[in-house]
Order: sequence, then C-alpha cells, then structure tokens
Amino acid sequence: MEISLKTLAARSFRTYKIRNLAAVLAIMLTAILFTAVTTIGMGTMESLTLTQQMAKGSKADGDFRYMTAEQFGQLENAGFIESYGLRMPVGFLTNTARHNIEFDVMDETQAKLTFCNPGYGTVPQAENEVVISDAAMLDLGIEPEIRAVVPAEFSVRGKTYVLEFVVSGWYKASSGQGSIMWTGTAFRDAHPDIFRYTYPADASPAGTYFSDFTAVSPRGLEDKMKAWAYSVGGNPEDVNASDYLGTAVNQVTNAPIAPKTMAMGIVIVALFILCGYLLIYNIFDIAVMQEIRRFGLYRTIGMSRKQVRKLMNLQASWLSCAGIPLGLAAGFFIGKATLPVVMGTLSSEYANLAVNVSPSPVIFFGASFLTALTVFLSTRKPIRAAAGTPPIEAFRYAEAASGSRRAKRRSAEGGLPQMAWSNLGRSKRRSFFIMVSLMLCIVLLNSVGIAAVSMDTEKQVNFVIRTDFAVVNIASANGLAGFTRREQGLKEETIHDISGRPGIKNGSLVYKNTLDDKNVTYDFGVRIAETQNRPEEDKVIGMTEDGFFFNLGSDGRPLSNVYGMSADSISRMDIREGETDAGKLYRRMQAGEGVLMGIPINRSTMHMIEPLRFAEVGDTVTVYKNGEAVMELPILAAAAINGDDMEIGYTVNGTFEVGGDGLYLYLPYEIYRKLYDRPAVYKYSFDAEADTRDDITEFLETYMHTSDPSVTYMSAENARKNAESSRTMVAFVGGLIGAIFGIAGILNLINTIVTAIITRRHEFATMQSIGMTKKQLARMLTYEGICYAAGACILGLPVSAVLGFTVVRSLTESLWYFSFHFTLVPAVIVCAALLLAGACIPSAALRLFHKGSIVEKLRIAE
Amino acid sequence: MDIITIHNLKKYFGTGSRQVKALDGISLSIEKGKFTAIIGASGSGKTTLMNTVGGLYRPTEGEVFVDGIRLAELSEEQLTIFRRRKVGYIFQDYNLIPELTVRENILFPLMLDNSRPDEIFFREITGLLRLDGKLSQFPYMLSGGGQQCAAIARAMITKPSILLADEPTGSLDAKTSQNVAGLLKTTAEAFHQTLLMITHNTELAQLADRVIKLQDGHIIL
Amino acid sequence: MEHILKATGLKKYYGKGETTVKALDGVNLEIEQGTFTAIIGTSGSGKSTLLHMLGGLDTPTEGSVTIGDTELAGLDSEQATVFRRRQIGFIFQNYNLVPVLTVWENIVFPLSLDGRKPEKEFIMQAVTLLGLENKLDSLPGQLSGGQQQRTAIARALASKPSIILADEPTGNLDSKTGNDVIRLLKMTGEKFRQTIVMITHNPEIARLADRIVRIEDGRIVSDEFPDTL
Repeated sequence: MEISLKTLAARSFRTYKIRNLAAVLAIMLTAILFTAVTTIGMGTMESLTLTQQMAKGSKADGDFRYMTAEQFGQLENAGFIESYGLRMPVGFLTNTARHNIEFDVMDETQAKLTFCNPGYGTVPQAENEVVISDAAMLDLGIEPEIRAVVPAEFSVRGKTYVLEFVVSGWYKASSGQGSIMWTGTAFRDAHPDIFRYTYPADASPAGTYFSDFTAVSPRGLEDKMKAWAYSVGGNPEDVNASDYLGTAVNQVTNAPIAPKTMAMGIVIVALFILCGYLLIYNIFDIAVMQEIRRFGLYRTIGMSRKQVRKLMNLQASWLSCAGIPLGLAAGFFIGKATLPVVMGTLSSEYANLAVNVSPSPVIFFGASFLTALTVFLSTRKPIRAAAGTPPIEAFRYAEAASGSRRAKRRSAEGGLPQMAWSNLGRSKRRSFFIMVSLMLCIVLLNSVGIAAVSMDTEKQVNFVIRTDFAVVNIASANGLAGFTRREQGLKEETIHDISGRPGIKNGSLVYKNTLDDKNVTYDFGVRIAETQNRPEEDKVIGMTEDGFFFNLGSDGRPLSNVYGMSADSISRMDIREGETDAGKLYRRMQAGEGVLMGIPINRSTMHMIEPLRFAEVGDTVTVYKNGEAVMELPILAAAAINGDDMEIGYTVNGTFEVGGDGLYLYLPYEIYRKLYDRPAVYKYSFDAEADTRDDITEFLETYMHTSDPSVTYMSAENARKNAESSRTMVAFVGGLIGAIFGIAGILNLINTIVTAIITRRHEFATMQSIGMTKKQLARMLTYEGICYAAGACILGLPVSAVLGFTVVRSLTESLWYFSFHFTLVPAVIVCAALLLAGACIPSAALRLFHKGSIVEKLRIAE
Repeated sequence: MDIITIHNLKKYFGTGSRQVKALDGISLSIEKGKFTAIIGASGSGKTTLMNTVGGLYRPTEGEVFVDGIRLAELSEEQLTIFRRRKVGYIFQDYNLIPELTVRENILFPLMLDNSRPDEIFFREITGLLRLDGKLSQFPYMLSGGGQQCAAIARAMITKPSILLADEPTGSLDAKTSQNVAGLLKTTAEAFHQTLLMITHNTELAQLADRVIKLQDGHIIL
Repeated sequence: MEHILKATGLKKYYGKGETTVKALDGVNLEIEQGTFTAIIGTSGSGKSTLLHMLGGLDTPTEGSVTIGDTELAGLDSEQATVFRRRQIGFIFQNYNLVPVLTVWENIVFPLSLDGRKPEKEFIMQAVTLLGLENKLDSLPGQLSGGQQQRTAIARALASKPSIILADEPTGNLDSKTGNDVIRLLKMTGEKFRQTIVMITHNPEIARLADRIVRIEDGRIVSDEFPDTL
C-alpha cells in the first residue's frame, strides 16, 4: 500500500487535536467577525434604505409621469424595465380631517412598489372596491375592517364627486400624515369622464398614466429613461410642454454609496484581517516550532520545500473547511441578533425604523472569501519557515538558547524575575509579536475612548434648540417634510393649553411664511439668471449664476424665509455684525428702522457660511406685497443661525421648500403682522423651571397623542439624550472592535504560555527535581506573563498618545460635533486588565497542563 | 573505487574569539562497499564530518565529492534531492514518523520521489532486518531495537550511494546494541552498501572494516 | 561512620492482579556517608525506579527511605521538593541545564531557589577542580557534552547536599570523557566528603566506584566492594 503526502498530512493532522481545535476556533472567530459585521452593515443599510423608501413612498428604481395610454402600453417593450405598475391619479379626498388621503387607480405591482399592498383582505376587483390604510379609515371615523364602507369626496376638473366605496383590503399606514387609497381598473372603466385625457389643455393629471418600475440594472438609468421618453414621443425636459413626460430616478433606492462609507468599510475589513491574522499566524507559528524536529527529519530524508508546503497547505485548508462554515453560521446569527441593538441606538435620529436583514449570498461569499484570504496570508510565513527548516534540526536534542549574553552576570544568581525575562528572550520574535498583538488592543480602545469623550453633546444640543422646549407641527420634526403650509401652523387652542402649564417662562411664539404666502416677496439685489417652472410641486425656482436657488413668489421675486419673533427670541440669537445689542435692535426694528438677517453657520468652524451671504449689513431689502413695493428695510445686523433659528433640530426641508437658499429675515411681531395676512405660528418656544420639566414633558407627551396629534415637541433634554446615545454608539461599536482585538491578543497569550508549558515540560520537571517548588515554578511563569503584558503596556501607552494627538485629533476636527479632548485613561485601564490577565493565566494554565508526577515527565524525554 | 573523497575540509562555526573549528583540514577517501567507523571524543568533529558528507553543512573550505558529485555545485534544492536519493540516514533516536506504519515509514523516501517500490528488494531487506510480521504496526508498538531496524530499512530502501549512521545504538541497551549493529553490518554487506558510522562504543567500532579517529577537528588515526 | 541513607523493604508495583509489574520487589540498602556507590543493572532491572525512590521523586508501594533523620514518606510533594533542593544533588544523563542561564547561574540555581547566598569560595573550589573557571559566563549551548556534565556536577555539589544521585551520568558521553567525568566526580566527592550513588549499565564505569550493587528484576543480587577483589 502506497503512502501519499495527502495520507501523511491526514494522519499527522489527527494527532494534534487540541491544536487543531485552537486553529478552527481562530478561523471561526475571524469568519464570525466578517459575517457579523457584514450582516450588521448590510442590515443597517437595508433598513435605512427601506425606511427612507417608505418615507418617500416608493421603493421603485424610478417612475414615469403624465403618459398617454399608448405610451403606457409601450412600457412593455422597454428592455431596461424589469417590472412596472399602473397608476392613474385622481385626487386628494376632501372629506378628511387631518390625514391626507390620495386616491388613485392602481394595479398590484404599483401597490407593492408604493407600500400600499393590503396586509389584510384582497386587492379590489369591483369598481366600488378600494384598498385603504388604517389611519385613513380612522380619520374618516371608520373602524379598520374588511367590507367597511368608505365615504369619499373629491373633485376633478372642478367637478365634485361624492361616492361610497367598500373596503376589500387594508394596510397599516407608515405615516400619520397621509396615505393612499386605491382601486382597480374596473373603476377607471366605469368612470370615463374622470379619466379623460386632457393634459395638453389643462395639465390635469387625471387621465394620464403614471408608472413606478424596477429596472434590470440601475446603471445609466436616467439616460435610459429620457431616451425611452423621446422614443415614445414624449418630452422629458420641458415641464411646460404639452407632451411633457416626467421621468424621475428614485434617489433613495439607488443612493450611491458615499465614498466616506466605502472608506470606512475598507478600514474595518483591513482591521479584521489584521486581527484574524494575528490569531491564526500565532497558532501555526507555534505548531511549526513544536514540530521542528519532524520538519528537520522530512528535510533530511529529502522532502523538497514544495512537498512540505503542500503538506501544510492541505492541513490549513482542512481547518478552514471546518472553521469557515461554523463561523459563517454563528456570525450571521450574532449579526442578526445585534442588529436591532445597533438600529436602536441609531433610531434616536430616525423615527419609523423598519428593521430588516435577509441572508444574502453576498454576505456569505464575501465573508468566506475574506476569511480564506486571512488564513492564506497568516499561514504563508509559518509554512515558509517549515519548508525551509534546516535538516540539521533533526539532530538537535535540546532547544538551543538563542542570542548572546552581554555583561558578566555573576552577581545575578538567576533570580526568578530575571529568569522569566530571559525566557522571553528565547524567541524574541514571538515575544515581540505577542506584545504587539496586545498593544493593538490598548491603542484601539484608547482611540475609541478619546473619540467618545470628544463628542461634544452640548455643542449638538446648542445647535438643535435654544430653549428648554419647543412645540412644532409634526412636519417640522420630519426631516423630509418641514413646515411649508399655513394649515400646519399651531392652533390657538393648543398654544393656550400648553402655555397655561405651571413652570413655563419666557414663552415665545414664532411666525413663519409659507408657500401659501406667495404674495409677499423680497428684493435684496441678487440676480436671477434662470427660472424653472415646477407645477407639480407648485414652485417656480430662480437660480443665480453660481447655482444658488430661490423659490419665487407670484411676482417672480424671492419668497425668502421670514420669521416673526418676540424680543426674547431675538435675544437668544447669535448676533455677530451690526447692531449687536439685542434689546436695542428689537426696538429699532419695531420702529421700522430695519431687519435682522441670518446667515447659516458652519458647524465645524462656527463661522458663517460666506457663500450664503447674499447681502451685507447696511444693504437695503425692498419688501413687495401683491406686486407693489410696500417697505424698505435696511439690514441692521447679521446673526449666525443654527437649526433652531431655521426650523428646529436638523430639519432643513421646510426652509428649503419655502425660501430655497435664502434670505433669512427676522422681524418683530408688529412688522410681520403688517406684511402677512393670516400669519401662521410655526413654533412655540419656552423655558421651564427645573423642577417642572418632567411634568411638562409628560404633559406634552400625553397632549400630542390624545388632544392634538398634529403637533410634537422638542426638548433640550431629548436633544441631549440623542447626542448621548450617539456617543454610546461610538463607544459601543469602537469598544466592540477593541474588545475583539483584546480577545485575540489574550488568546495569543494563552496559546503561547500553554505551548511553553507543554514544550518545556521536561525542563520544568528537571527544575522540580533539583528543588524548584511548584509555587516557585508558578511564580516564574507568572513573571513571564506579566513581562508580556508589561511589554505591551510600555509600547501601548506612548503609541496611544501619539495616535491620539495625530490621527484621532484630525478625525475629530473634521466632524463638527466633536471637540477634541485627549485622555489616556482607557489605555491605563486596559493596561491594568492586561497585567492582571498576564499574571493569572500562567497559574491557571500550569494547573491544567502541567500534570503528572515528576518521574513521568522526566521519563517522557528519555 | 572511492565513493567519498574529501580534500582539506574545514568547517568553522562562528567568528572571532568564539569561533569553533569543528573540522580543521581533513582529507580522506572512503572505499565503496566498506564499513567505516568514525570515533572520537565529544567535540572532536565526527558529527560535523558526517553531516558535511551528507550535504547538511556546507564546508567553510575544501571539497567534498560523493559518488562523483561535487557537493559545492549543488543548490539547496538539489542537495535535498541528493539526500533523498543518494544518502540514507540512521539517527540515534530512530526518528520514525509516528503516524505511519512500519511499511509506510520504510517506503517514505520513495514516496517523496514518486517512485514505485521494488517489492522484491523490500521483502529482502525487511527479512534480513527481522521485520516480518511487524510491517503493519506503528512505531510505538516496537521495541527500541525494532524501531532502529525499521529506520535502517528506510535508509536503505532507495539504494543510496552511502549510509550515514549517527550513534545508531546510542539509545539501546548493550544486548540490543550488539544485535542491531550486527544486523546493520550484515545487511549493508549483503547489498554492498557503503556504511559510515559514528560511535563512541569501541566494541561497535571493532565491527568495522576501517576505523577513523578524530580529535579536535583532525584525523589522528 | 553512620549511614546517611537507609532504604528498607522497598517495593514498587504497577498495576494489579496478573498484569502486575514488580519494578522493585523488596530492596534493602544502607549507604555510608562519604562513599561512592554504583548501582548496576540492565534496562528493566529496576535501577532507575530505585533511584527515583531514593531521591523522593516517587513514592514506594511499600517500604521506606530515610535520608539523614528524615523519612521521605512523611513529606508532601512541596516539602519533598524543598528537601531535594537542600539535601540531594541530582545529575542526569542529559545534563538538564537551564538553557537561558550561564554556567555560573546554573550552578547556583538551587541555592537561589532557596534564597541562599552562594558560598563563593566553596563553589570556586569545585569549579576549579572541575576545570570550568573559564566557562562561567558561557551558555550551555556553547559547551561540549562533557563540559555540560561537569557543570551539572558543580550544581549538584553547590548546596552541599547529604547525598548526590547520578542517573547514567556518562550515557551521552564517549568513553574517554565519561571516564574523566566519573573520576572528577569521585575526586570532588572525596574532597568534600560527599556521598554519591550512581546508576549505570556500564560495568567499566561502575568499577570506578567504591561499592557495586547489582540489581536484577527488582531485587539486589550482589553487593561488592571492587577494591577488595
């Protein structure tokens, strides 16, 4: 019977069960790292994308608008489209209270893409059947159930329709503000008058065809869509053309991956490869060392390098075949379990999170590949060492002590600590390696500590809100919505109820202009180079040469973002130029002497953003009402404005929709009310006595859920909690990675010490025969453990300091919510932990592995 | 015919004041098919000499020729192949591979070369070395003497140019030593193997055709 | 002279019933202080087992060993270790020096384990006798076999033990070196009045001792004083 390299590999493989187990565990750990983190990463991305899609209302790749029936029919032949839906808009129901109900004709594909597929019941068949959301039904005063009767009122082309529908199916609304009610094509066929195609004449959407679709590939989608539109006789460019065919790519579905995210991803992958490398390399390195005589023998009898390599590569691949699948499975489950925790810490910034992660082949292939790559890289050096073992090793008996001794040490007398240190010198390379492995943990955790400590919560709070509390419309709290309409203003009743609460002080109303105030415009000397008409958004945009844009009012002049403020509100602002005395400024403004201009602040530098400075202190702003100039307001002062001055928190969409890039003007109540008929209050800000804050918070919570669901509130307390939770997440994620490195380092340490005990068994037995007690042996090994840890600390502390002041500092300085704050405390704590581990591991290992009587141990060698 | 020729061989380890002159100018020739014993005190250079002949050490100075091959011309990989085919090693502590059976151990060098074993030769050798019936056992099941015999068979299976034995009886008690040494000599003679053996056992050395005595890196006998 | 070592009725059995291995089957031995005794036997005769008993490295199934006033059976493992450190010097077949310590450090190692300061004068005497004066800073890896064994002898002597036990001390040495080493051992033994017990399978080496005890199948079969032959 012949023996092959493979058989030899297999047989010798089986002899070292514990070492194989260690290697499999190391490979498993690496695979877990990659899988878990990839799962969390992809899961987070998936969940965030889904959430944004739901907020936007569509998860399609893109959509077409205002098509004719023939054009819609042509979608079938579009090669780049995978599946598409049918949508024919009718209009908004007018018999609703607070919840907006959009009424459309749809098919199932469209419904699925726009999240209104019925979770209960079926799709509509008959012409009077509809699918509707639970929130919509509640708003209409109906119990959400199948076969409920829905009264609907809407108007198309000036004609009012009053109909009754029956619910064939319903779904849970994702937004409290609005949802879709839809019916099937049977309705369309039964009401030809509603669906007459009249778009070229009156730009009425009723009668036109819309479609959300999924694309075969997201690449070059915009061009493909435009080309298709032209090919079917539509005009995708000119919104005013009678043959206008709207094309829109869904930015949320196909959001490009930010280069920053990519970079972070690559860094994390590299870190994990390093971590896995450290673990796996050490195990193989020790394995080769343990069997050096065997390799010497192989080389002496004539095994070539290639043959030795083949032998070891076989064993490494068997270990991987065991470790990788186990790691993938464990990693996926760990990732899945941890995902909600990660999302939970993120959700303070995002409401309505949909948490979702599916086992994607990408994760598994990616993790397998990366783990295999790590194993490959880690084993190169040990395998090369084994293959190149000098044959003379077969002849050696005792492990030769390396290195030379420098000074005369006759006085040393070999005390235990010095012996321990010399023992580390037996393999300088490995000892250094262990120390580096431990050091990485120290440095990482300290860097994470610096980052966490440097998170400036107060800076974040100060940007988000200037008072203890602020009550706003729900839209203001929704980053994608914002305050844009008069009807979103706070009701008098609500303000009255809230302001009556005990403990409230310095309460101020803040007025703001809306898209319903198109008759009041401002001229501040900026030149409009180009105008764009966007009827479906009810906007006309004016752009400057530099690309800044302003929303234009009825007379073609900028609407701007204009606020009506109390004296208290003005006094809280950060006035930097011109009349900086807030009280004086307010009185001057009340007298009609001028206006306060705001310029958004750069959060990193805390300077005003110069490109957004469209006017200077001293310039005059002319106010137009109904097309006529009614006021001239010189700019008396300029303030650096934050989130609270613009809207609230991080919401910018409101000001974006109304004024565009500017101008921000702050007026006293009297002047504001002169300019705006039916002024709307968008915010009620107030402070509160310290001991009443909890009561007020509780009151507001109850109030917004029961009495007035259209409002919500922000508090400095909440803002602080959000900021803190971000800090927690940084600490959590960073700490986790650091801990993993720590575990890898400790495992390496354990491996080294256990190996030392096993290979020096004979030496220990000798020392015990000539009189070294077990306690002394334990003490010597404990010193060795401490030496490793101490070496790591001596390396780790200065490296942490250097890294902190260079890399970490530049990172924190580039992000506005950090204020660099150096600390070495985490490093010190980790060092203490490592020293403790280094002291404890040897005694434990000794107890486990140094068993048997002295005689047995002596005999083994003979 | 001389199978090994050595000219003025020097092997020094280290440099400066700590330099060890293991071999300090050795010239000798070994006749093919003969049994030569190399004796000397510990530190005399005998192990170094054998290892140099086997291609494990490169000479500091001088020339070594084995079976017509000038060792200095060979690269490291060529030396490995040289050892595989031309040299048979017998170690003091047998150095069998514990996971392979006796038969597999013996055939191991052939496997490395991808050569097919000569079954007849295999049976002759194992018969001479009293290994019949032990071929499918593992090394740990054999006595010290049995293991060394297996090691001898392994050394001879490739029909090498030279057999190098380093204290082959060092780990065996007196009686077994005699047995094994006798078997080694007989088997080597049966197949006209050149055998070079290091020993400090004078009784063993007396079995040889020729005795070379080393002291401090020189031949004195 | 008194007996420094007394072994009475030593038995060491492994296993039970039919497969019992009787490594030692009733050994009585008394050793006088200052003498050089060789215990000779083939492999499997029980000589190593006997040595392990005498050194307290292993416990007998039956019987007792007394060194000086101390009965070894009464000591627990840590106490036995300390006892060995102070009262017994060991010399092994493969020297067993600590590779990371110099020759000097190896010699004084048992003393430093005990926390005792070495008597420099005494040790230098031994060192000079053994010819190691120039090697005190070398590491074991830099020494020849004979030099390493001589270092081991110095180590065994350093703590002035009651008894020195040597286990096949010349096994790894060639005959000339082996002879030299044993002669040195004998000489230092006489100089410092050490009691030496050596086991060996080499009859030539054994002949250098004052007394040859032959052991076979776990029993002492002869006990002779070669000088008187």
